[in-house]
Amino acid sequence: MTISANGVRTRPASADVAALTDRLRADFGDRVVTSQAVREQHGHGEGMADAALPDVVVFPQDNDEVAAIVRLCDAARIPVIAFGVGTSLEGHVAALYGGVCIDLSQMNRVLEVNADDLDCRVQAGVTREQLNAELKGTGLFFPIDPGANATLGGMASTRASGTNAVRYGTMRENVLGLTVVTPEGRIVRTGGRARKSSAGYDLTRLYVGAEGTLGVITELQLRLYGIPEAISAAVCQFPDLKSAVDTVIVAAQLGIPVARIELLDEAQMDACIRYSKLEGFAVRPTLFFEFHGTDVSVREQAATIQSLAADHGGSAFQWASAPEDRSKLWKARHNAYYATLALAPGKQAFATDACVPISRLTDCVMQTRADVAATGLVAPIVGHVGDGNFHLTILFDPADVDERAKAEELARRVSLRAIAMGGTCTGEHGIGVHKLDALVAEHGDAIALMQTIKRALDPHNIMNPGKTVPLPGNP
Amino acid sequence: MLDPSFASALASLLPASSLLTATEDTRPYECDGLTLYRELPAAVVLPETEDQVVRILQLCHAARVPVVARGAGTSLSGGSLPVAGGVVLSLAKFRRIVAIDPLARTAVVEPGVRNLAISEAAGACGLFYAPDPSSQIACSIGGNVAENAGGVHCLKYGLTVHNVRKVRAVLVTGEIVEFGADALDAPGYDLLALITGSEGLLAVITQITVKLLPKPQLAQVALAAFDDVEKAGVAVGAIIGAGIIPGGLEMMDQPATRAVEQFVHADYPLDAAAVLLVEADGTPEEVAAEMDEIRAVLTRSGATEIRVSQSEAQRLLYWSGRKAAFPAVGRISPDYYCIDGTIPRAALPRVLRQIEAWSREYGLPCANVFHAGDGNLHPLILFDANKPGDQERTVEFGDRILELCIEVGGTVTGEHGVGIEKIRGMCVQFAPAALERFLGVKAAFDERGLLNPGKGVPTLARCAEFGAMHVHAGQLPHPELPRF
Repeated sequence: MTISANGVRTRPASADVAALTDRLRADFGDRVVTSQAVREQHGHGEGMADAALPDVVVFPQDNDEVAAIVRLCDAARIPVIAFGVGTSLEGHVAALYGGVCIDLSQMNRVLEVNADDLDCRVQAGVTREQLNAELKGTGLFFPIDPGANATLGGMASTRASGTNAVRYGTMRENVLGLTVVTPEGRIVRTGGRARKSSAGYDLTRLYVGAEGTLGVITELQLRLYGIPEAISAAVCQFPDLKSAVDTVIVAAQLGIPVARIELLDEAQMDACIRYSKLEGFAVRPTLFFEFHGTDVSVREQAATIQSLAADHGGSAFQWASAPEDRSKLWKARHNAYYATLALAPGKQAFATDACVPISRLTDCVMQTRADVAATGLVAPIVGHVGDGNFHLTILFDPADVDERAKAEELARRVSLRAIAMGGTCTGEHGIGVHKLDALVAEHGDAIALMQTIKRALDPHNIMNPGKTVPLPGNP
Repeated sequence: MLDPSFASALASLLPASSLLTATEDTRPYECDGLTLYRELPAAVVLPETEDQVVRILQLCHAARVPVVARGAGTSLSGGSLPVAGGVVLSLAKFRRIVAIDPLARTAVVEPGVRNLAISEAAGACGLFYAPDPSSQIACSIGGNVAENAGGVHCLKYGLTVHNVRKVRAVLVTGEIVEFGADALDAPGYDLLALITGSEGLLAVITQITVKLLPKPQLAQVALAAFDDVEKAGVAVGAIIGAGIIPGGLEMMDQPATRAVEQFVHADYPLDAAAVLLVEADGTPEEVAAEMDEIRAVLTRSGATEIRVSQSEAQRLLYWSGRKAAFPAVGRISPDYYCIDGTIPRAALPRVLRQIEAWSREYGLPCANVFHAGDGNLHPLILFDANKPGDQERTVEFGDRILELCIEVGGTVTGEHGVGIEKIRGMCVQFAPAALERFLGVKAAFDERGLLNPGKGVPTLARCAEFGAMHVHAGQLPHPELPRF
């Protein structure tokens, strides 16, 4: 048993784990791995590097195999942690109580593409870049693009977003249906191919963002979009951070359907220029824009934004209309996290994820910047500011206890500041284990309901225990 | 009949004018938009404050009396049908628009506010609320959230679930809870999505924050005629396939256009087998460019005539026919039964052809008027409840349409909800493992099952009974289909 009399989960007894491992080996052979190296690799995501190793890692290939593994775990009351490629930022995959890590990387097939209906069905281990590569030639694409090349199953579980959420929404808007293995090892399909359904509760959206605490997502039905007729990208640099943020706010309030607006402060620009060898840019607060639509609408949007930016002291646009120039620009943006890490080799980093109502964005960004300056830490700002979401990438020396504490305090203040402004501590990275406190601060009464739902759908608390929803007795 | 001590406790919570118990007073509440089903409630309460809602629910919870929340009573699936011996909790007095914030582009409203009243109030700031069910002049926003209502503009702007930021609600135990956030995303489980479309089974909504959108500078609608229903269905797919997401993409067949024309004179071509309405909105330049593309696709798809509205008055005239389709059909037939199945768009031609064949087989006329871009069908089966056997054949015809929707990968309800009407369809669409998840969610919110019992989610026992009737020779219909 892994739950003691007072309901507190502890690591499973080693005899139970050994028995389960034998059973798994009988069914899955060398797709069951217990080597230290593989367990270490599966014990953490990106961000704060505190690892907690699973006891066993299994590599299933289809829904039935996942269900079979979960049934064995359920019978033995041993935790189950689903794993994509390990790029989550809040400790989602750390095996806090040991157990079985289900690595979905071998479930990497695109099952169907329905071009006429603008949807597709994929296995959970398909990554976003793989999906878009397989869609080449169909004229379609999947827009959600977190910095990492994450799996779609992981993106759904963390309700990921990306640089173009302003126009295309987050995973919440783009998952039409799911196949989920329940904690008892049953296979459930939610949603479907219809564009809308009001049949029953919205289980699809309940599992999206549940961080693997209610079940294992094994397949996804996703919305696809036609590649716009015209795409152009532009860069605009500003004399100060406030002017850049104010430009974004006015654009959002006017409802200009810009596909992407990304803010990079001086420190982040500095890191990206060095890391991605960007030429022709100054170390100044900068906005990256991308416009999607017809030739006419793209020209119009760009002209409106350019005049707004000029009103706020922005430089003339530097255009990137050729696909290779655009992709260099966005690659630099997607690599911002790695660029920041490269500023101080040997240091580690974690990212904050505040999201506030757009009308409070300037206040929140400026106060946060002042806060960073007061700590003396290096923490560049980058963000999808069109939807009020921005990140600090806080660098710290893992060997320096004081510096780490200072970094964690800064991150906590960012969360609480966002919540105090009517926002949230996590726009897209999720709760995982690092933000449980902030969730309580933000949600109050709704936490009790989340706990009841967790207990109703996972009565033995075997699905990714210790994450997302704090359960009394399980810190 | 209410227990006398419960009745007096209820009376002590409310002014006399807010509590109805006499049959002549409760009669108007016996049904909603789905008049096939009727039931008199033991009492109707009309609270004015959230505190009264809390106390009413606490009282009902303690006495284990079922409660059915009701907005404007326009549900098409029996969502607000009373429960025998239960209380109807009307939110009709919650009709304040609390705040409109043009910078954040949100409105905070009470649940009894009419859908259209939000857009009317926001219009002064150049904003509007996008989801627009055809009943928008009457239906209330609380009911829209409870049913996850759709509408003509949902193809481009999303359903209710995409346009609500925050909901404040009272649980059956009387606790007040807020779901969602003012910011884009709220962490933890997506309880806002659970509440949206929960048909009054999880909580009673007392306040809603909706998103507002800037009104497009210009909107134009193209009206295209086809000599064949299937061709019109193919044209719908061709428009979306060309990468155009119109503001609205609606289809009506000849029985529908003829009914409408007699009613509102919307200037539809009556010799056409089907008519498509395709709207483009945005800046004048965008609209002009999109209209050119729409026209080209419609021509390629075999449209026999295309008219584009040349003024706002003409645009509204073309839409008036679509929006008045249900009442128009109501004028030409003693009764009609509206189906709400939704299918992947590519299956439209096949399903429309089959509905036409069944209409002949059953001898029941069927008018099709629907959100074609979403694949959301609304076949209206015309019948006469006073003719022996008509109603039974109508329900059978409707059930077959819904089973076909599931077979092609769709759902039994796109936007009207399950209510009482489609509870059996749920057993066909979802396997027991999924139904158990639903029941688990329900129990987490309302362990005693007091909120809107008998609606939305069937019990497994009920599905077993239904299955016993429909399993033929031990075989489920379409065993090859995933029961999701």
